[in-house]
Amino acid sequence: MTLPDYVLGTFVTPSARDARQVLDLVQAADRGGLDLVTFQDHPYQPAFLDTSTLLAFAAARTERVHLAANVANLPLRPPAVLARAAASLDILSGGRFELGIGAGGFPDAIAAMGGRRLTPGQGVEALREGIGIIRQVWDTETRGGIRVEGTYYRAAGMKRGPRPVHDIGIWVGAYKPRMLALTGELGDGWLPSWSYLPDGWASYAEMNARIDDAAAAAGRRPEQVRRMLNVMGGSFGPSSDELLSGPPRVWVEQLLEARHEHRVDGVLLATDDLATTERFAAEVAPAVREQLAA
Amino acid sequence: MELGLVLDGSRPPSELLELAQAAERHRLAMVVVDPDDLDAWTLAVWIAGSTDTIPVVVPAEPDVEPVPTDPATPYPQVVAHAARSADTLAPGRLTRTEPFWVRAEAGAPAPALRDLAGADGTVVVEVADPEEVARLARELGLDERPATHRSPAVRARRRPGIDYDGVPASLAERAVEPGDPGYQAVSSTYLRGGAPGLVLRPRTPEEVADALAFASRHRHLPLGVRSAGHGISGRSTNRGGLVVDVGAMDEVTVIDRASRLVRIGPGATWKKVARTIGPRGWAITSGDYGGVGVGGLATAGGIGLLSREQGLTIDRVRAVELVLADGQQVRASATENPDLFWAVRGAGASFGVATAFEIEAGPVSRAVGFAQLVLVVDDIADALVTFGEVASAAPRDTTVFLVTGRPQGGRSVVQLFGVVDSDDGEVVVERLNPFVRLGLLAQQDVRLVPYADAIGWAPDVGPEGHHGFGEPVSRSAFVDAVTPALARDAADLLRSGAVHFFQLRTMGGAIADVDPQATAFAHRHAAFNVAAMGSSHDALRPGWERVRQHADGLYLSFETDTDPARLADAFPPDTLARLRELKRRYDPEQLLRDNFAIDPATPVAAQETLS
Ligand SMILES: Cc1cc2nc3c(=O)[nH]c(=O)nc-3n(C[C@H](O)[C@H](O)[C@H](O)COP(=O)(O)OP(=O)(O)OC[C@H]3O[C@@H](n4cnc5c(N)ncnc54)[C@H](O)[C@@H]3O)c2cc1C
Repeated sequence: MTLPDYVLGTFVTPSARDARQVLDLVQAADRGGLDLVTFQDHPYQPAFLDTSTLLAFAAARTERVHLAANVANLPLRPPAVLARAAASLDILSGGRFELGIGAGGFPDAIAAMGGRRLTPGQGVEALREGIGIIRQVWDTETRGGIRVEGTYYRAAGMKRGPRPVHDIGIWVGAYKPRMLALTGELGDGWLPSWSYLPDGWASYAEMNARIDDAAAAAGRRPEQVRRMLNVMGGSFGPSSDELLSGPPRVWVEQLLEARHEHRVDGVLLATDDLATTERFAAEVAPAVREQLAA
Repeated sequence: MELGLVLDGSRPPSELLELAQAAERHRLAMVVVDPDDLDAWTLAVWIAGSTDTIPVVVPAEPDVEPVPTDPATPYPQVVAHAARSADTLAPGRLTRTEPFWVRAEAGAPAPALRDLAGADGTVVVEVADPEEVARLARELGLDERPATHRSPAVRARRRPGIDYDGVPASLAERAVEPGDPGYQAVSSTYLRGGAPGLVLRPRTPEEVADALAFASRHRHLPLGVRSAGHGISGRSTNRGGLVVDVGAMDEVTVIDRASRLVRIGPGATWKKVARTIGPRGWAITSGDYGGVGVGGLATAGGIGLLSREQGLTIDRVRAVELVLADGQQVRASATENPDLFWAVRGAGASFGVATAFEIEAGPVSRAVGFAQLVLVVDDIADALVTFGEVASAAPRDTTVFLVTGRPQGGRSVVQLFGVVDSDDGEVVVERLNPFVRLGLLAQQDVRLVPYADAIGWAPDVGPEGHHGFGEPVSRSAFVDAVTPALARDAADLLRSGAVHFFQLRTMGGAIADVDPQATAFAHRHAAFNVAAMGSSHDALRPGWERVRQHADGLYLSFETDTDPARLADAFPPDTLARLRELKRRYDPEQLLRDNFAIDPATPVAAQETLS
């Protein structure tokens, strides 16, 4: 099952206390026909469910929707562990898994869990090596074990596989120039959050351009990198200046504008409200898809 | 002995799942996940998520000191966090442990397995297909174990005073106890946290009778009766007691078109009822929230958005089928057991477990005006008085409710929502116009929608059940008018901050057409039901008692105070006397007592209300 070119989905808080509500939100997205459900990954946050565990559980409880971390914390999730879990879940779910990945913030919290402390620059390089290893684990065509002599990771003859059943997209959470360049060079997708874009659409365009340049330099086409956007909140109450607030009609207009004017290939709505999720799926998503198909 | 299955991950997922399901069906002790290619934890979690009861075990690997440059070894702290999360998602079902089992050769026959396990041991084996699981279970006699059989781990979580092994056979399969995987989903209700010792889930009146017989043997424990779990006064969950949940009986069928008679199971939500009959141009008034269940509401009253036109929900009920405390199945209507029919409409929870209602729907416009207005007001007391006048003066096609909370910075935000039963936009606007006088209109959303949409915005309750926690705190009163004196005391109460949700539900109209003696719900004169919800009874009491001075009676569904004096507020003396007499006849030992329990024995001298 490949993900459609244009994606609408959700970004659900993996709250341990509200675990059952989290599952309700996932199932509402699945039932309602949204494309993707994602969870943030902060393994050092005890109030959150372990994202890898939640993803596997959610996959078992859903039928159609794709799942991804938004984004997996590489410093605490060694790349081969991540790659194997991802491929296993892809196999078990019938090709419904995508891999969101990031270099991880919060160095103190990471260190407290036994992870290593890296500067932002080192984080980018570790991610580059990590993505290389992930792709090698998935590549079961090449013979022999995996050898890595990196600065951050080393392996001598590590086992390959399992092999995912569909081409899992590797989507990078990136804002800074080096990370954006890495996204353009190696990523299949870009996963920024609206609230972190200092100048809104202007920032989105500027970051997109950096991804384009890096992609071109690596001999890739710009459309090989899916441009996503996480949007926090969203409300069907009265219209306001915020993105996605107002009646469904306003959401549809804004999403179409985001697609046409700002190259947004997919929006993930960060909400923990069931009714909002249901309405997003029932009243917004079909209308946007219909207009895009027209 | 106990038998477990080894799942070898090189098979396709569908086969793995079939094997795990077969193990679950035949009540094996566990599946052991031991794949050579797939990630063991991912597979284990996925199996746990795809099944309901079977324990899933991952053989523990020796702990390795993490080396950050090693791309293939997880961090032990992350692994431990994952284990805790798994226990939250599938309580008690997923364990990573050193083997405590003996592993048999694949294909080992039943006698060999029995020898390996010994009397109390656990043997695990890899099998070829679900048929082999079935065969082994049969040969080892696992299938013959009663449906009440639980693993030692589950038994350890049982609560005292419950005869778990004596659950009637008809209910055993669907009964849920604390160690069972589906337990969390049935322990809370919409507004209340709970931890019952056993939840019985009958599907037929016969099974309800079995459940009540079992409950009769457990009088020392609380007993909750649950339909859709939206009880406030109704303690449809508890701690350590029993719950009889009739949610599965949720069918909605039209039985007579000409008289618009609809037969409805108690577990149906009003949203479902509205959606089912709406396309015929019919509606049954219920409340303002479609998630509420038929069982709890249609036995208590039902003050809803079509009430001024149709009356209370109980006024539309033509017959009720119920199981009495002694297990008898009876029908109550104007002609069959009329005294019971009287009692069930207003105090139903004390008289039996309703298993079906026959209700006469009313005609309704295909699209009704559904309004949600938000107004900002400077003087809430003034606004309440104005609302009272306007809402009561409106024609019967218009029922509007008011909700407000604590004023902020001297101003109150007032939400009005209601239905105008007309598909003519002009009429809708005309009916709503007078309400706008209340204050500054901050938001308005007025639409012509099917009635089902007006109450249907309640989200579906998913397989994970309700998520309520703690105890709701709610007080209720009927008033004949919103007088300036009442409004002043209500405004003081709001300003005290003890109330976070204050509601006026407009009554009158068709509700008042009915003789107060005709049903156990006697408060036919009331113009409004006042409900105030807060976080503590003690904080709420002083301000509330002043509001209550203006009140006459209360609607039990919104009252959580358990003081026996409340009974006399809920039922005027004549009504209460008759209810007690009937209680002596129908439930003398007071088995049904989770919602305004009527004490059959002592006709307590009617206590003065707090005024
Ligand atoms: C959000 C919300 C909005 C509400 N709005 C309104 C409103 O507008 N108007 C109104 O009138 N009420 C309203 N109510 C109150 C509601 O009608 C009662 O709480 C009702 O009892 C809920 O029914 P239930 O089946 O969902 O609840 P449950 O929790 O399943 O049951 C509550 C109680 O009802 C009794 N009961 C349940 N099933 C049966 C049965 N089959 N036979 C006999 N007794 C049974 C039991 O005593 C039980 O404890 C509202 C409640 C909530 C939570």
